[in-house]
Amino acid sequence: MAVYEHRYQAYEGALTSNWRRFLVLPRYSWQVLARSRLFLILMMASLICPLVYTILIYLHHNANALAAFGISPDQVLPIDADFFRVFVGVQTLLALLVSVLVGPTLVSPDLVNNALPLYLCRPLTRSEYLLGKMVVLMALLSGITWVPGVLLFLFQAFLGGGEWLLGEGQKGWLAVAIFLSSMAWILVLTLLALALSAWLRWRSIASGAFFALFIVPFPFGMVIFEMFQNRIGFGINLTMALDAIRHGLFGTTSEIPVSLTLGEGALVWAGYCLVALWLLSRRVRAYEVIAS
Amino acid sequence: MTPLPLRQDEDRQIVLTDVSKFYGEILGVNRITLTIDPGITSLVGPNGSGKTTLMNLLTGLIQPSRGEIRVLGLSPRNPESLFRRLGYCGQIDSFPRGMTGYQFVATFLRLHGCGEAEVAARAWRAIERVGLADVAQRKVAGYSKGMRQRIRLAQAIAHQPDVLILDEPLNGLDPMARAETICLFQELAREGVHLILSSHILHEVDMMSDRVILIDGGYLRAEGGVAGVRQEITTRPMRILIRCDRPEQLAAMVFQAGIAVEAQLHPDRQGLFVSTTQADQFYLRFNRLAIESDLAIESVVPVDDDLAAVYQYLIGPQGGGE
Repeated sequence: MAVYEHRYQAYEGALTSNWRRFLVLPRYSWQVLARSRLFLILMMASLICPLVYTILIYLHHNANALAAFGISPDQVLPIDADFFRVFVGVQTLLALLVSVLVGPTLVSPDLVNNALPLYLCRPLTRSEYLLGKMVVLMALLSGITWVPGVLLFLFQAFLGGGEWLLGEGQKGWLAVAIFLSSMAWILVLTLLALALSAWLRWRSIASGAFFALFIVPFPFGMVIFEMFQNRIGFGINLTMALDAIRHGLFGTTSEIPVSLTLGEGALVWAGYCLVALWLLSRRVRAYEVIAS
Repeated sequence: MTPLPLRQDEDRQIVLTDVSKFYGEILGVNRITLTIDPGITSLVGPNGSGKTTLMNLLTGLIQPSRGEIRVLGLSPRNPESLFRRLGYCGQIDSFPRGMTGYQFVATFLRLHGCGEAEVAARAWRAIERVGLADVAQRKVAGYSKGMRQRIRLAQAIAHQPDVLILDEPLNGLDPMARAETICLFQELAREGVHLILSSHILHEVDMMSDRVILIDGGYLRAEGGVAGVRQEITTRPMRILIRCDRPEQLAAMVFQAGIAVEAQLHPDRQGLFVSTTQADQFYLRFNRLAIESDLAIESVVPVDDDLAAVYQYLIGPQGGGE
């Protein structure tokens, strides 16, 4: 029998609060991303559209500047729901590219390197682990989509004043539409990126699959529609669903002759989110149980 | 120093009550009931015997199919409080990609909830304790197997846990590093930490463990101090080597006294191997024999009360028991 001195003191000092523990995870992911040239190029590219839109809003409110450029006020784009909807559309496409680049690097390396048990034997649950990984992408995509969108809205509201804000149509709703339609994209992109990263260990395959999810269902749905005049094929079309959500929120009409309603779009969107969550719950485990 | 009162309450023990774990139809461990006190406890058993499953159950990484586990009074189902007091180093070589040794230890300290001011000091202390301070700023991917093993040990001890669960912690270490690591374990055990480790190197386990848990095919075969376990194995006579000047005479005496079932001369004829089924009785009677006779007895040493013998008797060279 050994003699135990009982002089060991476990750590009893101050601890960081539980709710922000998961924020440790994005820390190194962002550091690693910052070293990627392609990532930096994409982030720079995401600034172009907000810059152009800022100029457009400024010109819209500055007759002297318009005159200096030789542009008549009729030629300037109206600042309405479509104006912001197109902005969100362009930025969400860039968000898709960023997701393709960043997504496969999130969960897959931890699975390949057997690092999950290391994370999960801390005061960190599986949900918090996923939340930490989601924050990596969600913060980046927010910076590309709704943050500049809402800033542009505020800029326009500042220059247009109450006349624009309280005038024809409910312009205040546009800020909510910018936020919600961007978040719909961000959430589904993030969940799908994590799910694919968890299931497909090869980065190129995960990236390819990610693109395919947004491209393949469209012709598939169209073929089904042309052959059977049935819209059921659009039930897996995520791009169309997100387009329907955006149009529904902004109160605009889609240019595509056959489209989904806001409710249908939301249903397809929710379906994709649930499937991605289910895939993640199956994969993100401390240990893989292989039944013989 | 004022001696501290020994506390035998549940808050200082790891208690498993009728714990079973099944992976579908595959048995992980079955009906394990154990109480583990502070000190070094080694899990010993052949590959696939359930050692890692038992460790994963203790760390809460998997949940039992049946039974209850309390680690220092805490349930592994409550990760927030349990994992503050638990350090874990798995068997599989596992690291988040791209981190340096220091970042690796520091990241997991942050996940434990240490503030920035604490992180650097604690990370360096742990890294120094495992002797990796010189290479801490190098990427873990470039480490040798032994260095990886040590940096994983550093992340396990950095937050000063009460319970350390280490799966094959001596794998890949060179002899010097093994000795240093064993010293570290013994130091932590003396301080009152629960160290639960698994190893296949029986003589090292024997040397450092306060108690062993022998497990085979998911079933608990024996637990306790090695010598105590050996005495419990009554189906195998205990073998004792007695060094003396006249072993032939001693052989006759032990048979006459009825305290031996077998006696064999040592090849150098300067000793006698005696097998007995009742070691306690043997020693009592042998003392009297030694006093009454004029034999010059040099030493009396049990030769099969080490872990290797216990392992072989209970589990067999290939596992599966006697």
